[in-house]
Amino acid sequence: MRPEDLLRHPLPTQTPKLTFGCSLLDRLLGGGIPCHSITEIVAESGTGKTQLSLQLLLAAQLPASRGGLSASSLYLHSEFPFPFRRLHQLSLFYKTDLPHDPLERIFVQPLHSADHLLDLLPRLDFLVPKLNIKLIVIDSVAALFRGEFENTPLELKRRSSMFFKISSKLRFYSHKFGLAVVLTNQVVDVMQSSDNLRIGNSAFLCSSGRRVCAALGLSWANCVNTRLFMWREEGRVGEDCESFERMQTRRFIRVVFAPHLPDSSCEFVIRKEGVLGCIDDNGQRK
Amino acid sequence: MEVSTLPISASHRGKLISSGYTSLSSLSSVSPSRLAQDLKISENEAVEILKVVSRRSGSEKIENGNHAIMNGAQTAWDMLHEEESSVCITTSCSDLDVILGGGIHCKEVTEIGGVPGIGKTQLGIQLAVNVQIPSGYGGLGGKAIYIDTEGSFMVERALQIAEACAQDMLEYDNLLRKDSQACRVIKQPKAFLENIFYFRVCTYTEQIAVINYLEKFISEQKDVKVVIVDSITFHFRQDFEDMALRTRLLGGMALKLMKLAKQFKLAVVLLNQVTTKYKEGSFQLTLALGDSWSHASTNRIILHWNGDERYAYLDKSPSLQSASAPYAVTGKGIRNAAPNCKRVKLM
Repeated sequence: MRPEDLLRHPLPTQTPKLTFGCSLLDRLLGGGIPCHSITEIVAESGTGKTQLSLQLLLAAQLPASRGGLSASSLYLHSEFPFPFRRLHQLSLFYKTDLPHDPLERIFVQPLHSADHLLDLLPRLDFLVPKLNIKLIVIDSVAALFRGEFENTPLELKRRSSMFFKISSKLRFYSHKFGLAVVLTNQVVDVMQSSDNLRIGNSAFLCSSGRRVCAALGLSWANCVNTRLFMWREEGRVGEDCESFERMQTRRFIRVVFAPHLPDSSCEFVIRKEGVLGCIDDNGQRK
Repeated sequence: MEVSTLPISASHRGKLISSGYTSLSSLSSVSPSRLAQDLKISENEAVEILKVVSRRSGSEKIENGNHAIMNGAQTAWDMLHEEESSVCITTSCSDLDVILGGGIHCKEVTEIGGVPGIGKTQLGIQLAVNVQIPSGYGGLGGKAIYIDTEGSFMVERALQIAEACAQDMLEYDNLLRKDSQACRVIKQPKAFLENIFYFRVCTYTEQIAVINYLEKFISEQKDVKVVIVDSITFHFRQDFEDMALRTRLLGGMALKLMKLAKQFKLAVVLLNQVTTKYKEGSFQLTLALGDSWSHASTNRIILHWNGDERYAYLDKSPSLQSASAPYAVTGKGIRNAAPNCKRVKLM
């Protein structure tokens, strides 16, 4: 290995992207999830992080003509149980487009701790080429760090050096094999009293009417290339019987920061066939 | 002090002048091999020329009462002259250029830090494009080296910024030189990408190796006018058990970069992350890599949020006063913050 080997010249004019399987979401992301890069999806539970992850696992298998990577995907999950039934349901919509059973090309590995993840990562060196993996999803990163570290300066320092180790390895493999890496992260509530450090496009993030911010803090934010935020808003839908107010959940996704995307957002719905973007804010659905 | 008065052959004299070596001081620090390359003559001839030059400038110095102790040493007066004539790399945000004294200076190391999403990488890409603005448009017409440690450099974004830059030059042409429009060829946006040498480094060992290799690379490539490291920090924030080793490695790297900046008269731009520091009972934001690192750069700029606007604060500079200026990240790249934003907010 010589330093001149690290030069990439001339540069390609396009970064390969992985489709969401929905043209509106693709448009928000400038074509989809970029390869060679780490994309983080931040949301509170029940917003649709896992739904979106499962959809990407399937979309990665599509041929390049349909925006996929025609490759297998690896799903590392630290939140249990593994949503097998939902994955199966979604896979039915992809079956007709693919020559093989989509479930055969999804590799699943449970994660128990951050150390466990660090032990696993070096195995990617031979797993990725052998299984033709082009997408790695870690759902969720936050769960790996919950509870294991105490709130003392020394422990926090150990935790953040762990972040950089994991991120560095993931970035290395994503560059080496052209992988798309998607991580999900949870949110934590923001105390009104503490002055909140602003990261990214909006001064504060709201979900379900509460002020939140991404878990794992400032140093973790340096470990991802793109951060997306998904949130939900509960709204009343009138016209029903007086005694029953129907509550409707609206869901949105926004770019918090990304090297290649402007600040933009999009509403989405979760349907049987997957996560889909909506046309506009007036409740008009695609 | 004129090259035309030197006792050398007319053809050499002509070559010197057409290659831009018009004053003796411009020849004082150049190596024979470099001169031979520039003039397309043999190295022996170059050595002969330099001998004549050093004899002449030596005698002049004595006449003027100057005492240049070493070859290549300059007086402060010469340096002032050189700085006055040197061109900066514009940031494409005039407010920011003003507080920086014209833009990013060559021969200096400038460190830029801020929270994720504030626009560090955007500024990095903007500079990699702007360094290529030809001298006819007030630029340097140079090339850029981009060392990416985080994988945040996106080609489509670079292309977008290059398109906007080419567009701006076209507008400038239409405004000021309607007559000579036809003879000017505006660069294609894709041509901008060809002049960005992109290194992707995945470990700190690779980072140090690339920085050590730069001297050779730049002398081969010529015209490299900016080196951007995005970010200098990332690989050094992993578990370094031996913090003294980290400090030494960083110090060595900083020295190398400073030397490059001086030697090739180029700008070095280091992007840095921010971290929280426990100080007097509360957590404060500071640039990463610790106190000793803060000596590594000539200038330090901190990017931060102020309400909904992005601000750049000049925190350290040997010649300019601390000041801050708003800027915006737009589809076209870094630009002035739109003044109507403020008006909207007041209403």
